[in-house]
Amino acid sequence: MELKERLLASYLAFEDRTEMDDHVRNIRSQAIKNFESNGFPSKKDEEWKYTSLNPLLKVPYTVFSKKENSVEFKDVKKYFLHEIDSYKLVFIDGVYSSFLSETTHQGMDICLLSSALSKPKYKMVMDRFYNQATDKNESLTSLNTAFATEGAYINIPKGKVVNKPIQIIHFSTGQESALMLFPRNLIVVGENAHVQIIERHQSLYENPVLTNAVTEIFANKRAIVDYYKIQNDLPSASLIDHTYISQKQDSNCAVHTFSFGGKMTRNNLNFYQEGEHVQSTLKGITLVGDKQHVDHHTLVAHNQPNCESFQEYKGIYADQSTGVFNGKVIVKKEAQKTNAYQQNNNLLTGDKATINTKPQLEIFADDVKCSHGCTIGQLDKKALFYLRARGIPEKEAKALLMYAFANDVLSAVKIQEIKTRITKIIANKIGVKLGFDI
Amino acid sequence: MLQIKNLHASIDGKEILKGINLEIKPGEVHAIMGPNGSGKSTLASVIAGHDAFEQTQGEILFEGEDIQELAPEERAHRGVFLSFQYPVEIPGVSVTNFIKTAINELRKSKGQEDMPANEMLALIKQKAELLEIDRKFLSRSLNEGFSGGEKKRNEIFQMAMLNPKLAILDETDSGLDIDALRVVANGVNRLRSQENAVIVITHYQRLLDYIIPDFVHVLHDGKIVKSGEKELAHQLEEKGYDWVK
Amino acid sequence: MSKYTEAELKKELETKEYAYGFYTDIDSDTFPPGLNEAVVRAISLKKNEPEWMTEWRLEAFRHWETMVEPEWANVRYKKPEFQNISYYSSPKQKPKYDSLDEVDPELLDTFKRLGISLDEQKLLAGVAVDVVMDSTSVATTFKKTLAEKGIIFCSISEAIKEHPELVQKYLGTVVPKKDNFYAALNSAVFSDGSFCYIPKGVRCPMELSTYFRINQAGTGQFERTLVIADQGSYVSYLEGCTAPSRDENQLHAAVVELIALDDAEIKYSTVQNWFPGDKSGKGGVYNFVTKRGLCENRAKISWTQVETGSAITWKYPSCVLKGDDSIGEFYSIAVTNNFQQADTGTKMIHLGKNTRSTIISKGISAGQSQNSYRGLVQIGPRAENARNFSQCDSLLMGNRCGAHTFPYIEAKNKTAQIEHEATTSKIGEDQIFYCNQRGIETEKAIALIVNGFSKEVLNKLPMEFAVEAQKLLEISLEGSVG
Repeated sequence: MELKERLLASYLAFEDRTEMDDHVRNIRSQAIKNFESNGFPSKKDEEWKYTSLNPLLKVPYTVFSKKENSVEFKDVKKYFLHEIDSYKLVFIDGVYSSFLSETTHQGMDICLLSSALSKPKYKMVMDRFYNQATDKNESLTSLNTAFATEGAYINIPKGKVVNKPIQIIHFSTGQESALMLFPRNLIVVGENAHVQIIERHQSLYENPVLTNAVTEIFANKRAIVDYYKIQNDLPSASLIDHTYISQKQDSNCAVHTFSFGGKMTRNNLNFYQEGEHVQSTLKGITLVGDKQHVDHHTLVAHNQPNCESFQEYKGIYADQSTGVFNGKVIVKKEAQKTNAYQQNNNLLTGDKATINTKPQLEIFADDVKCSHGCTIGQLDKKALFYLRARGIPEKEAKALLMYAFANDVLSAVKIQEIKTRITKIIANKIGVKLGFDI
Repeated sequence: MLQIKNLHASIDGKEILKGINLEIKPGEVHAIMGPNGSGKSTLASVIAGHDAFEQTQGEILFEGEDIQELAPEERAHRGVFLSFQYPVEIPGVSVTNFIKTAINELRKSKGQEDMPANEMLALIKQKAELLEIDRKFLSRSLNEGFSGGEKKRNEIFQMAMLNPKLAILDETDSGLDIDALRVVANGVNRLRSQENAVIVITHYQRLLDYIIPDFVHVLHDGKIVKSGEKELAHQLEEKGYDWVK
Repeated sequence: MSKYTEAELKKELETKEYAYGFYTDIDSDTFPPGLNEAVVRAISLKKNEPEWMTEWRLEAFRHWETMVEPEWANVRYKKPEFQNISYYSSPKQKPKYDSLDEVDPELLDTFKRLGISLDEQKLLAGVAVDVVMDSTSVATTFKKTLAEKGIIFCSISEAIKEHPELVQKYLGTVVPKKDNFYAALNSAVFSDGSFCYIPKGVRCPMELSTYFRINQAGTGQFERTLVIADQGSYVSYLEGCTAPSRDENQLHAAVVELIALDDAEIKYSTVQNWFPGDKSGKGGVYNFVTKRGLCENRAKISWTQVETGSAITWKYPSCVLKGDDSIGEFYSIAVTNNFQQADTGTKMIHLGKNTRSTIISKGISAGQSQNSYRGLVQIGPRAENARNFSQCDSLLMGNRCGAHTFPYIEAKNKTAQIEHEATTSKIGEDQIFYCNQRGIETEKAIALIVNGFSKEVLNKLPMEFAVEAQKLLEISLEGSVG
């Protein structure tokens, strides 16, 4: 049976054995219908022109882990940003691990989506926000909506500044020969509230894992949201990540995506500006090699006047890796005085590396300032020579230049420990020890 | 030539000019000084007819005619010239092509034919020399990538080409080094005559050492609070604007 | 251009409505509407074509029947009813003229009103004109001068008869007859067009130009152009288009193929001003064109276009940089006003080593029009040291139009260097006030600013075209800012 058929069959079983209220049941059944009619996207779809899911669809993924698994803290410690005090929401093979987590209900909710979906006291919030920001026609988002039961539920009330970052980590243990996961996060940030979130998907064993994740973020007036995605999974893991962000007036959301690992990574990052004077920031560093494939699809929908968006994606592609950047900025007729900026810079270092980039502008308002730029190139030979003439060996000199290339994006990171962590990953990837700290 | 009577003007409902009275006769140079935000540039824009400002009360008479209803280009055709504090860039349009268009539009308004090409060239050459502008500069895109000094010199060059009756120099000295200031001031002085008048808007008296005013007015909070002769500028420089508040 | 032309043209361009909205009544030999194998055979027969040509057309037709109209472009329109179009029409066949006096005076009058006065061009401009009037070539000038250099410049029909070896060798090699829906249609039914061959090492002494007009009601126009520049040769080719104002959509599906052999250079310039439809969006030409050039070693192809007309434009003049050290260029101004829709751009396919390409695209949208730039820069795995620079600027006038940019960039070689920049902006109020203050009224100020915005492209046009193009820009945008 093909994966699509197996998923549809699994849904019947899932619906049967899962308790859910009518609202959620309705959302799920709409979603599975949409998935059923659209199926997995193919390269004929404009949005999937450069990324093929075919190799993944041949893998016999199991939708649900058969048993509850546990891991020892010492084995996974390195995946936490342990230098900093944080709230933690940890999931193992899609199941919440209370042992590894640190949640709270004091003055805010940092807890589980499963309880939010099932407990009556959350019903009003769920009705208002759950699945409201997503693109209902996007087939893979629908697939997640149909199956998702667990993930992070974060609700920060008006005026609350969360005192420490929140880490959301999804582990897969490799107990199943091949596992498909559907993490689902819902984040509601109240008026004038402020939160920092770090998200990570991590396999612990080299069995194939396909994660199809959806995160919805609602930023109310003047809310500030900093979101960091660290993607450094094993070569057996693939990730299709959808993030939908709805912003109210004067809010400020930034998403940083660091893509280093995984077999295939697809990021769909959608911003919807629903109030005036909104600021949206999208930044990314991609550094991959071997036959890795990373695809960034961004959408910024400027629906209201006087808003800004700022995108900066840097990519370094080695060996036979492939990169895709498709940035779409849509400026609606109403969105006068929009200021949209988009930049995508790429370095190809591998003989067989490929980059496909398509920075797109669709503009229907006239009083706007929009620009995009994109470059593909190599390391500056003159700069390289200069460094070598100062006695820095070629490899280190290259690493230094690559680091400098990525640094524009890194310098905007507000959590020092993330900077340090990312710098280490970059150094590791390039295969040198950078002789300096940041 | 210019009579301003009880002029009030506002932008977005906020009143900036609160009753200005001023009379300028041919051959005179008036300096308007005042601290930032006193309304100096607004006055210049209102005289030139910028539609962002609303003239709420009073009148502006130019050669006896009320110009409130006139479009900016009609005022220009009658001889009003504004040297912009921040000249605007027009990519792809050369200084020469721009000034040619302006001259021929002026002639058209008077029912005259376009200026013959050779006459135009000769005039451009003559005025460019006056402002120490070289040929390469004339083929560059208008104000694009110009230094502060080049922009201001270009404004005065255009003034020389258009030969206005009333020239309003809005902060023409800002951003100029001493050499550029000398060139610009020299250009203005050479263009002075008994038929035309100049309004020099400035924050500092430095420019007034080069362009000697007949009268100095101090603008504060949308009104002229003090008027006098040249010495007033020096007094202001010594005592600061607080002195006149 | 001649004195007459400039004065006449200027006068015509001053009127606000579409200036070329007149219609010539020449008794024509027109096929009834409809398309099938018999029609394709009949077209071929009518033109006394050899068997291989008939077969070639039929093959294209059979393939076309299996194809569907592409829908990916950012344009919305009512699909043409292909069976309601007449696929052949030609002015009455007469023996070839010895002089222009023998040409239908009405036709000559049409050209006069267009500002093309053949006789004067012949005398003054040094431009050889191969006039295509409703599909069939009726007059070709300057043949002798060109023949002395061994240059062949004639209608494609004539070339099929007189130079079959060249046509057979090159036709459909750059744009295969199955390339796309419209190219296949054109391959099956193309009526006429121009053929040009520049022999080895020859520099064509004059700008070659063809003026196209769509004329008969309901007649689709299917031009076919083939330009071959042999090794080390050079040619500059101009194509200018205007169409009569008719209240009916007219389909145009042309194919242009350029072949630049080693060290050759082709410069192809177009001013397109077909009927764009009226102010309410009624009527106008549908322009679905396939233009592509192939560069061998060290060859260069340069496309320059000024697109102000047509209701729908679907056009991507492209370069296949097959040879090492070859160069492709694309300079474009596309203006849309009222209800026009344009989806235009280019493809630069880098296959050879050290290939270079430059793309400068200027889009101006006004009224309720939609203007899209769609481009592809592709660097193949063997294209060492390929370079591309692209710049796409959009200018918006008014708040009901749209400007869109869809650049596709695909690099498969690590030595590639690609730079792409795009901006979207409006004409600033401060710019207009500045001009006003210098005595320049708003409409004139806009013309000035638009000209400045388009300058990098206008400069690439041959002189006589640049003047015309500049005026076209002005009339195309008149009344667009209130």
